[in-house]
Amino acid sequence: MDTRPDMVLFWIALWSYLAGTVGACIYAGVRKPSVRGIVYGVTLVGLVSQTIALGVRWVASGHPPVTGPFDYMLLLSWAAVLAFIVMWRTKGLELLTVFAAPVGVLGMGVASLFPSRIEQQLIPALQSYWLWIHVSLAALGEAAFAVSFVAAVMYLIGDWRGWERLPDKETLDMVTYRAIGVGFPLFTIGALLAGAIWANSAWGAPWSWDPKETSSLIVWLVYAIYLHARFVKGWRGVGTARLAVLGFLMTLFTVLGSRFLGGLHSYGV
Amino acid sequence: MLGPIPLVILVPLIFLAAALFFQKFRNWLTSMRTAIRLLVAMAAVSMIGVLVGQQLPPEAYTERYGDVLGLFVFRSGLANVFRTWYFVLLGALIVVSTVTCTLRRIVRLVKRPGRRISATGSLLTHLSIALIAAAGLVTALTGFRYPAPRYLEAGDVIEVPEGGFSIRVDAARTEFTEEGSLSEYLTDVTVFEDGTEVLKQRIEVNHPLNHRGIGVYQYEMLPSSRSIQHAFIGVVVPVSETAPLRRDITAVPGEIVQIEGTDLSLKVLEFLADFTYDIETGTAGLASIRHDNPAVLVQLLEAGELVAERWFFMGHAGHRDDSDLPCRIFFLDYIPDFDDGLTRFEFAKQPGTPLLFAGLGLLSLGLCLTLWTRRPPGVA
Repeated sequence: MDTRPDMVLFWIALWSYLAGTVGACIYAGVRKPSVRGIVYGVTLVGLVSQTIALGVRWVASGHPPVTGPFDYMLLLSWAAVLAFIVMWRTKGLELLTVFAAPVGVLGMGVASLFPSRIEQQLIPALQSYWLWIHVSLAALGEAAFAVSFVAAVMYLIGDWRGWERLPDKETLDMVTYRAIGVGFPLFTIGALLAGAIWANSAWGAPWSWDPKETSSLIVWLVYAIYLHARFVKGWRGVGTARLAVLGFLMTLFTVLGSRFLGGLHSYGV
Repeated sequence: MLGPIPLVILVPLIFLAAALFFQKFRNWLTSMRTAIRLLVAMAAVSMIGVLVGQQLPPEAYTERYGDVLGLFVFRSGLANVFRTWYFVLLGALIVVSTVTCTLRRIVRLVKRPGRRISATGSLLTHLSIALIAAAGLVTALTGFRYPAPRYLEAGDVIEVPEGGFSIRVDAARTEFTEEGSLSEYLTDVTVFEDGTEVLKQRIEVNHPLNHRGIGVYQYEMLPSSRSIQHAFIGVVVPVSETAPLRRDITAVPGEIVQIEGTDLSLKVLEFLADFTYDIETGTAGLASIRHDNPAVLVQLLEAGELVAERWFFMGHAGHRDDSDLPCRIFFLDYIPDFDDGLTRFEFAKQPGTPLLFAGLGLLSLGLCLTLWTRRPPGVA
């Protein structure tokens, strides 16, 4: 086992989230406040460990930890768990917050598949302050999409199996919408605007129809369809929840797909 | 055949039909259902562009998908889907739909001026789509981007296409950190217009030269193909049959290195990154600038007297008979010369870029205003 401080903290966070996930499953069955308290507690321990791990990696590398797939998934899951924790105190969303831990497990589990070494020296293409703006804003936007995904999945489960053990459908629908409402502008600024500005100085064109650029556009289009459907057509419920799920699956494809599809982004995430 | 009376009836009928068609088309184009369908179609076509590798040679598709499907992918335009007529048509329809909807919204906003901030945000968002499309059109019609046709070394001059100026490379090098990690590619250049020096600049990745509307980008960098920093040479001297003397030496080109424990010495004279031999002229040369077949010309001396001068190839020991030499020589490895490198630029003219940035900026602003100031639909 890696004994580097950041990795020790990484594993503490991952095990905490795992414990939180088990607790969340138990809570879904027994609904005891004491179980919920334990779930919150271990999730918070995970979040604190993950926050310190990110800080340690920042200090050790000399730059924000946003440069490789490991760091990116770490940041993305951190932001998503943080968003859930923020909802903790919101009335009616306590049950939703229970899902912070599984999201943390998923994100950190994916991160653990990639090399975790700390790169002090960035390759020339990544030596730009636009890297931090582009990646961090895109990650924050995608973290908000993760929240909308969880709410939408719960909505679909409720529609399928009944609502007894879930928050009410209006709350889930609203959380899905609000999370997309927060994430969509952040994603637009980070992934599209900042990405285009940086691409123009690094590659000679703001847009190259690179697989990652194009799949980001598809993510954008899916959420644009969601917002149009909801704003103008007044669509609610299962249809928009499915769109939110599709949007996040496309987001995951965008984040991880360029590892396999190649293109200009293939040195990073 | 048609007399004056049928024409009198026919012409208004044609106009009426055209007007009806136009109205129906406008209604279709401005409906939200159409907008959503267009966005879905755009997403679907874009997905093809992600999954099917773009702008590859035809054989790449037949190799990947088989003869029939590969040929279909190439001929149907799926291999260059973002330049097909249907993709362009789809984009044009989205823009026209967006602009038409925006004009309607402006009229509505003027008539009913409530919720100004979010309505303005929505307007900006939709107008920005037109700006982005216009930017793409301007660049597609008048822009270009391609790598320079050749690598350049210090002293080389290249004419910049459509730029009206030329660039001389003054230095091209790769820098590393003390730990040996790649740090930066640097090319120092001088810009000339009509033979007159007008500018000196360093071109790096993320820091292009922008001159007269043309961007000159650091595209590639290779170490020198004719010089190295060090050569690592293995020497085996048969001092006895059972225990030959083995020495690994580090040779700096041009310097004589004594082989310890013997009266032999050697000197690396030349390096070629991709060795080839011209039988007609009897000279060695470069097959390419890539480091595909590295070779060093080594001079072997015994007690200060020249014994032999031969080319040795990396990874090809034992392929020929060197039994006339007093020792066996192996070219093991080398450290390339990164200070005197070969640089390659990319030239780009993207006149739509400022418009694109303006469009994306407006889009971002519009979305923030719309989504962060507006009460969600369905909330009282």
